[in-house]
Amino acid sequence: MTPNEKIQQEIEKTLQSLDGIKRAEANAFLFTRIKARMNKKPGGWEEGIFSFVSKPLIAIAIILLVMAVNGWALWGSGTSEAVNGDTTYSELANEYNTVASVNNYDYENTPNE
Amino acid sequence: MINETELVERLKQGDEIAFKTIVEQWKDMVYNTILGIVQNETEAEDLAQDVFIKVFEKISTFKGDSKFSTWLYRIATTTALDHLRSKKRKKRFGFLQSLTGSGGDEKEQIPDFHHPGVNLDNKERAAVLFKAIDALPENQKSAYMLHKLEGLSYRDVSEVLNTTVSAVESLMSRANQNLRKQLEEYYNKHYR
Repeated sequence: MTPNEKIQQEIEKTLQSLDGIKRAEANAFLFTRIKARMNKKPGGWEEGIFSFVSKPLIAIAIILLVMAVNGWALWGSGTSEAVNGDTTYSELANEYNTVASVNNYDYENTPNE
Repeated sequence: MINETELVERLKQGDEIAFKTIVEQWKDMVYNTILGIVQNETEAEDLAQDVFIKVFEKISTFKGDSKFSTWLYRIATTTALDHLRSKKRKKRFGFLQSLTGSGGDEKEQIPDFHHPGVNLDNKERAAVLFKAIDALPENQKSAYMLHKLEGLSYRDVSEVLNTTVSAVESLMSRANQNLRKQLEEYYNKHYR
């Protein structure tokens, strides 16, 4: 028998392997399990929100939205810094001067009070 | 023994005993149909539960135009196919897992489903056939499973799938062609 004939024979046998198959039997306690599921109280609003948010499309949309808001916030803060840059720097300098006068760590040159 | 029409009428009135009788009478048929399509015993049991819950909830929509068993087969087939579609969708997001290295193996899948009703002598061959059936398009798979596993005639299959007998003949013919092609590839790979 040639390899091709052998393969054709295998295919035929395999296609016939479901002949005379018996029906698979379901769990004997199927009805009890169905009743238990039907009696289970439906989930509250938290479960509803969770199942909605956990859908892949919704989750990806939320991630993209958060990233967009972050990008917008970063871009927005950069612009406002450029506009009010001088004010901010002077405010910062004033604040640090004040802080420096209070927290002076240059002990050796600190005049005695 | 209560007849089918009376059972359905009693179920429409919310009779729990009628519901229990329906579950006990048709549970193997529903489970076997789903098992053939999803090829996983745990999932098939969960889906069989889903089917009977749907039956309980939707019985008012059953007009009696077809046999009750036909309606039941239709719900079972649709539920199983919906489940497979949902699994496929989840698999499409598997690339995220492969990026983190926690999944997405590209290993060749070996035939691993063994139907409990298969004769022991045919166990390995049937597993190879089930693997090939799993790769068939949905409508071919449904027709093939209903005919081969449940022993439905082409006419009955056409009623379940809401199509014509000639369409079922065509589906079965294409299913057989596809199966031959896949089996040829499988045996070429494993015998040479």
